[in-house]
Amino acid sequence: MAHTLRDKAAISGIGETAYTRGTTQSGLALQLEASLRAIDDAGLNPRDIDGVIPYFPGGGIAEDFIANLGLPDLALSVFIPMGGATCVAALQTAAMAVATGVCRNVLISVGRTGYSGARVATRLQQFPQFAMAAEFEAPIGMFAPAQLYAQGARHHMELYGTTTRHFAEVAVVTRRHAILNGNVVMNKPLTVEEHHASRMIADPFRLFDCSLESDGGAAVIVSASDHARDLRKPLVTIMGVAEGHPESPASIAQRPDLLEFGLAKAAPRAFGMAGVGPKEIDVAEIYDCFTFTVINQLELLGFCKKGEGGPFVMDGRIALGGDLPINTHGGLLSQGHVVGLNHVIELTRQLRRDAGKAQVKDAELGLVTGYGDMGDGSVAILRRAA
Amino acid sequence: MSTAATTPPAPERPLPTPTRESQPYWDGLREGRLMLQHCARCGKARHYPRPVCPHCFSMESTWREAPLGGRIHSWTVCHHPFNFFFKSMAPYIVALVDMDAGVRVNAPLRGIAADALKIGVPVRLAFEPVTRDVMLPYFVAA
Repeated sequence: MAHTLRDKAAISGIGETAYTRGTTQSGLALQLEASLRAIDDAGLNPRDIDGVIPYFPGGGIAEDFIANLGLPDLALSVFIPMGGATCVAALQTAAMAVATGVCRNVLISVGRTGYSGARVATRLQQFPQFAMAAEFEAPIGMFAPAQLYAQGARHHMELYGTTTRHFAEVAVVTRRHAILNGNVVMNKPLTVEEHHASRMIADPFRLFDCSLESDGGAAVIVSASDHARDLRKPLVTIMGVAEGHPESPASIAQRPDLLEFGLAKAAPRAFGMAGVGPKEIDVAEIYDCFTFTVINQLELLGFCKKGEGGPFVMDGRIALGGDLPINTHGGLLSQGHVVGLNHVIELTRQLRRDAGKAQVKDAELGLVTGYGDMGDGSVAILRRAA
Repeated sequence: MSTAATTPPAPERPLPTPTRESQPYWDGLREGRLMLQHCARCGKARHYPRPVCPHCFSMESTWREAPLGGRIHSWTVCHHPFNFFFKSMAPYIVALVDMDAGVRVNAPLRGIAADALKIGVPVRLAFEPVTRDVMLPYFVAA
């Protein structure tokens, strides 16, 4: 029996601002600019939006959307506190809302001044999900995701022989893709040697293993599929979607398996809903807060076996033209950090066959992940409707 | 008009803010002891402290002193100081340790070089006063 949510919702609009380092705009302004572009892309009027899921904290809240867009009858206002897993998890919430008729058009949006505003170690103190880390780990010198996730990366290297050469491959391929996109913060080629020579942040992570602190806004609109069919752009439906929460969700340190997190639970549910498997995916946008995080997720998604993610990314497999092109827009590593909503936008563009020089030929089926907080995970499988 | 101060204030170390659940843990550290919360019904240790046992759902707990030994589970070497206080200490190793008591402790490691580390290397927890009221843990070779 088909899952009740399968293909019931579609990505009807996408919008983003320029990705920069050093904006004079507020996070809210960036978020609204991207939102207006997404609404226009869908061929909708701002007043057609009746649900909002803003990324929080940073940017605006429902009141701001009503005040700025003149929303006449907002029926749903939701925060999803899953850090980098928020945006893809929001696709599930939005799909539930439009499939049940609670809403017709839900706006998911991010506005971020990650470079010109509060930087990462300060920003995280705003998250209630980081209270455990703030109490037990910040005093001993562990503040930032780079440090907290580095221990997992080291564990993987020790168990499976994964190397920084594997990490570099993710960084170099992602940069190559970014250059094809154009709207990116990092627009110069990166070599393996430059990756290895970049300064150490939290061993084994070097600078070029870490995602960008950047400024920008991004937005997508989720509409009921039967309604989206009549809108402006080719129909891209949400075939499968799920979120997952790990054991010891507020502390990586106390998690029995450092390498097993929310995505491990979400992936089988999303693939089950879609009725497809990893082998059928044409293109994947994988949340890349760190190079190693991509390798780890490819394993949990079932693209390769546990421990084999390092060798899997080599030899052109994840580059355009390879078996599984990933992060065809440059990701968080090279395009910009809007908490992965840019990954959803890029996948939609790929399935519309509107991805320019980065277009994966004949892309029909794609996958996008989110990864956040201390290991929350989310994944969506999108398809180009016939 | 007075002259401007020439020395900026020293950056402050981030300190724990104990909660009603965690206070006995921090009190234990101050006395140089590793105190762990145990379920009063099923006896399982839990860390970090919380109100309910996730195994049997009892809200009753007791605190017991735990042995200080453990083995390396993983580690990182922090080079970039995300907080200015740690700038003078960088690079520093933070070891994640499987304690013999069955929980993990994350703390700085001293006296062992990073390239000598492997999963399973034995270490022992030690205590360092950082203010009059706060003692923090660190690891040394066992």
